[in-house]
Amino acid sequence: MLRRYPWCLLPWDQLALWAVTIGASMVEASPPPIVGQTLNLLLRGGPDIGANGLLRFYLLHVLAVPAILFVFLGVHYYKVVIHGFSLPPQKENIGEDTAKRVPLDKRVYYIPEILTSEIMWIAVTTFVLVVLSIWFFHAPLENHADSQVTPLGTTAPWYFLWIQGALKLGDKVFWGIIFPTLIIILLMVWPYVDTQVSRRYAHRRLAITIGCLFVSIMTILSYMGLSEYGVTTSADTEVLHDAVREPAYGYIGFIRPVPFDQLVPGMYSTEQIRIEREVNPADFQLDFAAFNTEIDENGQADGIIEQLQLQYLSMTDVAFRPVPSDAPELYRALEEYYELLESERQELRNGWGAIIITETQPNLVRVDAVVLWEEVLIERGRVALDENGNAIPRFYRVSEDGTPLTDETGKPIIVDAPEPLLDASGNPVLDESGQPRMLTIPVERVNSQYIYLHRNAEYFFLPGGG
Amino acid sequence: MGFFSRLLNGQMIFERMETRILVGIVMFVATMILIGWVAINEGARMAAFDRQFAARSIERGAAMFSTYCSTCHGNDGRGIGGKAPGLNNPALFGHDFIPEVNGPRNALIAERTTLENEANDGENPPTDERRAEIDARVNEINTQIADLEQQALPFISQAQDAMVRGYDPYRPSRLANVRWGSSVFNYVYSTLVHGRPVSSGYWPDPMPNWAQQSGGPLRDDQLRDITNFILNWNRDFTIEDLVSVQQFAVEPCDPLACGGGGVETVGNDVAAIMEQFPSVTGDPNRGQALYNNSALPARGTVLGCTGCHTGGLQAPDLAGTWTRVLNERLPALPEYASGEEYLVNSIVRPNDYIVPTYTAGLMPNNFGERLSLQDLADIVVYLMSQDQ
Repeated sequence: MLRRYPWCLLPWDQLALWAVTIGASMVEASPPPIVGQTLNLLLRGGPDIGANGLLRFYLLHVLAVPAILFVFLGVHYYKVVIHGFSLPPQKENIGEDTAKRVPLDKRVYYIPEILTSEIMWIAVTTFVLVVLSIWFFHAPLENHADSQVTPLGTTAPWYFLWIQGALKLGDKVFWGIIFPTLIIILLMVWPYVDTQVSRRYAHRRLAITIGCLFVSIMTILSYMGLSEYGVTTSADTEVLHDAVREPAYGYIGFIRPVPFDQLVPGMYSTEQIRIEREVNPADFQLDFAAFNTEIDENGQADGIIEQLQLQYLSMTDVAFRPVPSDAPELYRALEEYYELLESERQELRNGWGAIIITETQPNLVRVDAVVLWEEVLIERGRVALDENGNAIPRFYRVSEDGTPLTDETGKPIIVDAPEPLLDASGNPVLDESGQPRMLTIPVERVNSQYIYLHRNAEYFFLPGGG
Repeated sequence: MGFFSRLLNGQMIFERMETRILVGIVMFVATMILIGWVAINEGARMAAFDRQFAARSIERGAAMFSTYCSTCHGNDGRGIGGKAPGLNNPALFGHDFIPEVNGPRNALIAERTTLENEANDGENPPTDERRAEIDARVNEINTQIADLEQQALPFISQAQDAMVRGYDPYRPSRLANVRWGSSVFNYVYSTLVHGRPVSSGYWPDPMPNWAQQSGGPLRDDQLRDITNFILNWNRDFTIEDLVSVQQFAVEPCDPLACGGGGVETVGNDVAAIMEQFPSVTGDPNRGQALYNNSALPARGTVLGCTGCHTGGLQAPDLAGTWTRVLNERLPALPEYASGEEYLVNSIVRPNDYIVPTYTAGLMPNNFGERLSLQDLADIVVYLMSQDQ
């Protein structure tokens, strides 16, 4: 692990930077603060990992760690020469130490037996690695390391995931420093604790059980280290991230692999999928037109224009159209978007998404993923539920003519239940269409992220990824 | 015995040494064949990676352009009048729309300059005979140039809008005009690195220095990404591309020599301006032309009002300006004696009062140095016609 860890930074892409940052932050947690800060500064070569930190990690990788490894290897071979090998446990009488006393007829000689075996296995594993790297795994560099941009779902390298999982259990000094140190000490003293004479598996049930438990715990902790466990991000951010994320950890935003020719400039909405699936297909044209009219009237179209303006895209009107029939991959992306929003139905109440494609240059398009929803009550990062298990929508309080009311600090007043307008006798006042007039309107939210896609960028789904 | 029981018993998987050697050799040969096969395709594979690398660089550059550059150069890269020049611009790439005119014309001008230098050489004056020869040739050249310029007229009539915004059809290459000796890439890249200090007389804000090496925020690779994105605008430009550029580059020059230097501008003393205001009559048509970048103010570059005052998101919309001044601003702001005064104040001292929900400091505050009294009166009259 010591050998692999400093290497981890050397590709100097986003994955490398953030994986190493997690490790370096754990070093910073070492008590007392003066020790942690000093170690952190020594390791990173500055408050943050930059060019100096990269140089340090390079030197750790090529000089310092190999030097330490050299010492350990020396000790290891010294011990091998001094103590020699034993026979396999089954061939040894219990309690008998066969090291250096293996009978002549049972000895296996290094030359030629072990040597041919080792060379054969080197050839076999090299072949397997070559096959895997040609056809099955692709290891592209991610974007250039950038300490200003933190990707969502950053994790430590896999062999440190167990520490990251442990960190989610509580105090970072205990779980990040003391706990791993205890594990390493435990591994070091274990030969002195487990002094069972027999080396046969049948006689070592307790030790093997403890070993299996240990592996299980490490596996569970490693799983807990993944971003899927115990990290809550608001659903809209998650959905947008899934739509446009850069290739990382075997995942890629589902919009990116759409072939360039199918990224036809225009505005597309997940409502298309909903209407197709839930409503009579014969009425599709009418329903889709009604949807366009509705968002013009309820202000969601203006909400999209304002949001895109914040993201440096000017547009004057919003008009969605169905995905062209010769763009099946774009349709696939829209379906995936729809299903993601469906899976977040509780947090993204009445949520729907839009994919807006605009041409920036003849071979470059800008893709904006937009999500619109009505806010619900969130407590401690989770959707608060009422007694029926439903999310609790939130509302702005408005005056009778529909203008939002504010409190004395100028913030809009938000309530958790709709309030109808009542007349003097306490009956709801109805409007022309017979609906009760409300003193509250839903808190409408909109969020978006954008990417640019070039004709030659050729993003693709990774095998086994999503 | 099976594989795992052999493994557990600490035995070799292949008991016979010959088998091990055979397996090893087969695997080694197979590996070499695979690597050889990969090597044969390596050229194409690397070419594909190069294409992807360049494409993704452009994508990242586009994202940074929209964040850092679009507020001045426009999201479509066509520039914002009076604020910053267009980069999606034939002049940046040296696209010559009339090569059949410019080629011979430049050669003739070079020849004329040589002849004139010879004629004016005080140390080594030409003989009378030679002087007559030179004069004859210069006259001939001038006639030929006039003929060539006649040929250019159809193009020039199409390019009028671009010429108001600073385009010179006879000098179509920005890089040639500033005598840049290297590539477009290096021109854009070095401008990003160092920025460009400017005179407030012709640009309200300087081009910032973006590179970390010069004290800015961006890394070298990011600057290359932005440059790649800008270079990706290069194409076979059309006249439509040319006239849709909102602003062309401005070459620094002595204001007295370049014209407009003698013009008196209004300054930013609102009281003084209001005293002189009754002495001029505003022309709303010229005001509209000034507003829409199709006419030049008395001094400097186009004003570029439409760069921000569209749609009402970045800055208040043009439509209904006068209605809002009368119905909303004046009742709330008693310090302004009249709507005209409010408009004048807002143009020459834009940061005195910021309409709620808009951001201070966006509007250039150098209009007092760019407008004559007549310009200002024209614009104010035009704005007063916006009473929707």
